[in-house]
Amino acid sequence: MKVAKRTFDAVIVGAGGAGLRAALQLSESGMKTAVLTKVFPTRSHTVAAQGGVAASLGNSTEDNWHWHMYDTVKGSDWLGDQDAIEFMCKKANEVVVELEHYGMPFDRTDDGKIYQRPFGGHSMNYGQAPVMRSCAAADRTGHAMLHALYQRNVRANTQFFVEWMALDLIRDADGDVLGVTAMEMETGEVSIFHAKATIFATGGAGRIYFSSTNAFINTGDGVGMAARAGVPLEDMEFWQFHPTGVAGAGVLITEGVRGEGGILRNSSGERFMERYAPNLKDLASRDVVSRAMTTEINEGRGCGPDKDHVLLDITHLAPENIMKRLPGIREISIQFAGIDPIKAPIPVVPTCHYQMGGIPTNYKGQVVVPQGDNNNVPVRGFYAAGECACASVHGANRLGTNSLLDLLVFGKSAGETVVEDFEAGNLSLKPLPDDAADVSLARLARLENQTNGESVHEVRLAMQRTMQKHAGVFRFNDLLKEGVEAIKAVAERAKNTEIGDKSKVWNTARMEALELDNLIEVAKATMISAEARKESRGAHVRDDALDNAETPNGRDDANWLKHTLWYSEGNRLAYKPVNLKPMSDDVEPIALAKRTY
Amino acid sequence: MSRVLSISIFRHNPRDPASVPHMETHELAEAPGMTLFIALNRLRETVAPDLSFDFVCRAGVCGSCAMVINGRPGLACRTLTAALPEHISLHPLPGFALIADLSVDTGTWMRELAESLETWVHLAAEPDIDLLEAPMEPKLAEEIYELDRCIECGCCIAACGTAQMRPGFVGAVGLNKIARFRLDPADSRDDADYFELVGNDQGIFGCMSLMGCEDLCPKELPLQTQLAWLRRGMARQGLRGIFKKKDNE
Repeated sequence: MKVAKRTFDAVIVGAGGAGLRAALQLSESGMKTAVLTKVFPTRSHTVAAQGGVAASLGNSTEDNWHWHMYDTVKGSDWLGDQDAIEFMCKKANEVVVELEHYGMPFDRTDDGKIYQRPFGGHSMNYGQAPVMRSCAAADRTGHAMLHALYQRNVRANTQFFVEWMALDLIRDADGDVLGVTAMEMETGEVSIFHAKATIFATGGAGRIYFSSTNAFINTGDGVGMAARAGVPLEDMEFWQFHPTGVAGAGVLITEGVRGEGGILRNSSGERFMERYAPNLKDLASRDVVSRAMTTEINEGRGCGPDKDHVLLDITHLAPENIMKRLPGIREISIQFAGIDPIKAPIPVVPTCHYQMGGIPTNYKGQVVVPQGDNNNVPVRGFYAAGECACASVHGANRLGTNSLLDLLVFGKSAGETVVEDFEAGNLSLKPLPDDAADVSLARLARLENQTNGESVHEVRLAMQRTMQKHAGVFRFNDLLKEGVEAIKAVAERAKNTEIGDKSKVWNTARMEALELDNLIEVAKATMISAEARKESRGAHVRDDALDNAETPNGRDDANWLKHTLWYSEGNRLAYKPVNLKPMSDDVEPIALAKRTY
Repeated sequence: MSRVLSISIFRHNPRDPASVPHMETHELAEAPGMTLFIALNRLRETVAPDLSFDFVCRAGVCGSCAMVINGRPGLACRTLTAALPEHISLHPLPGFALIADLSVDTGTWMRELAESLETWVHLAAEPDIDLLEAPMEPKLAEEIYELDRCIECGCCIAACGTAQMRPGFVGAVGLNKIARFRLDPADSRDDADYFELVGNDQGIFGCMSLMGCEDLCPKELPLQTQLAWLRRGMARQGLRGIFKKKDNE
């Protein structure tokens, strides 16, 4: 197959919030940039974010970045790197105000400032009471943000390659990254995008689970590409289950509903979160709420004929407030649950939502890997931001509204780093190896010639069911052990997928097969990392980790206060220390403590 | 509930010389809570592996799944099969280039629109991010937000008589954007600037007020009111231009 070559200063893969924010930095600095995206930019999954973006503006209640940092470190169950967290919380106001200038239509307070609402795990004065920190455009914050960023990119004349799917990362003998191979979906042709800098902003891989709030495009493409190219994946055992997906449909209901006063109730109408989190109650951190809900259901206090969900109640709120602050939620409830939340509570269930781990980076957006004694050596020419990256600010559990903040701060930071490196002359267009496209072409040839294979749909379903059963909200030693073998078996099956449509043009079947390769890397990383981590921390809670004085909530800091690194080759695991030291002297390290809300 | 749906789908791949446009009908057992998104995926997984259609968010906010459902443009992900008769016909959205089957290229169209109408906030000066945000009346913020809810799905173009007759007409999606920036105090453009962009037959004066856009907008944007206001503003601006010219003569 003929492989065309295109040359750029930089190539960005993904045009969601992180990709668009990074692209803005590059386009405005005059770098020749290509942004590859599977879907038109404003269709990216950032569009589905609802509740808001965190920034300690202090518009409605007193607030400062120290409190935000404390909440984020505590939310991460101390697995987040404190230098990156300090960086993000300090930068929050700047990136939000900037966005407001770009035309993002935030809700306003009576005195004209950006409206802020309470959100889970965000508190004032180090955990004392809920704080109003989430800057929101009603309950469609992601939509407003994505469109504002896109508009600004049109102004900056950013060049998008829409409906192009990146296939594989190109590295040379030194391990430096020289770009990607990509397939144009319209023609099925493969091209090489040769660049001095490559930024991955491909989002998460929530589709490894059967029940997910994620869009169908969230197949972990960047994460899978990095893994196949020998880059380790960090902390992949940590997945966020959002407490409130619509039961059955999986569609997200924002935590902002609880921020506005929504209450979770079990079959007897009890506000059960009072038992699990006496201070923050329904606004405790997401992992805590999801586990409480699952416990209620497991102990027979679920609602409905099958007792398989709980209820999110906002019937006590003023209808005009619901219409004003939560119009999208009302629309979704009527559409997908068949109920009007003004009159009846919404059936909800914990649903896979967010990937805390990813491609290891530092706060500058550089991808970092262990080399010799140094655990964090930048890979030349390779950057990542947003959900596909692990900076690591979310650690073992992400706070709501910190994901939109993450993609703004680290999208911008990765862009700034690339521009700095470019302008300093530190980036060069290294010669492409002769075999630059061979891996991709071999994958395509395999699919083309496969006979007697399994359908992509069947294998994907097997993967999703395996992940759901063996690595869900609660994790069990024996199930994890079985899960490792089960997911390895599914991975073998994925090597023999066969597609029913072999045409060249707009072939979605081929694309789904290629996406499955990426999902499988993520699924293996998750299961194997989870089985190995013999403690409970954040979203990773296992039955055999005991809550006692040495291991509060089952968290074993003596042995497990460290980041997991999973290498695809040989399913090898390595570990690196958590950075407990902030980046400046402005703040003391947040000391380890038992996590309670 | 135990209906068997009969779904007729427009099939054509314009890039395949052998492809002839035709309707293809499949039967499918209806399931509780089934949307067209679920139905189409089920068909692709079982009997029609090469069927093209677009979906991303499945929650009615990304705007990629608009198609013509029993003759009316709408979002497939938000359409419950229970709300439709047993026989369902699906066509691609008219007014956009056909990619294949139910998939159309709204992206190229929307990008061209964004460039031609310059649909971004034109700031008088680059933002100073060290300053606090620019204050705005909550009521005005709400009005801007209301119009900013557009998901660029293309339903208003498919539903518009002018857009179907006159390529290049910016449609309700374009005019609504101008209305949105016109409200925004951060945007330094005035009516003379907006008149340059939409004060013509490709813009506001091409609208025939058939109101298909408002009837079929999945986000229920107040399009007719906005278009009416914009028409008045632009007409006033147009007259101003004429009198100015006369003064100069």
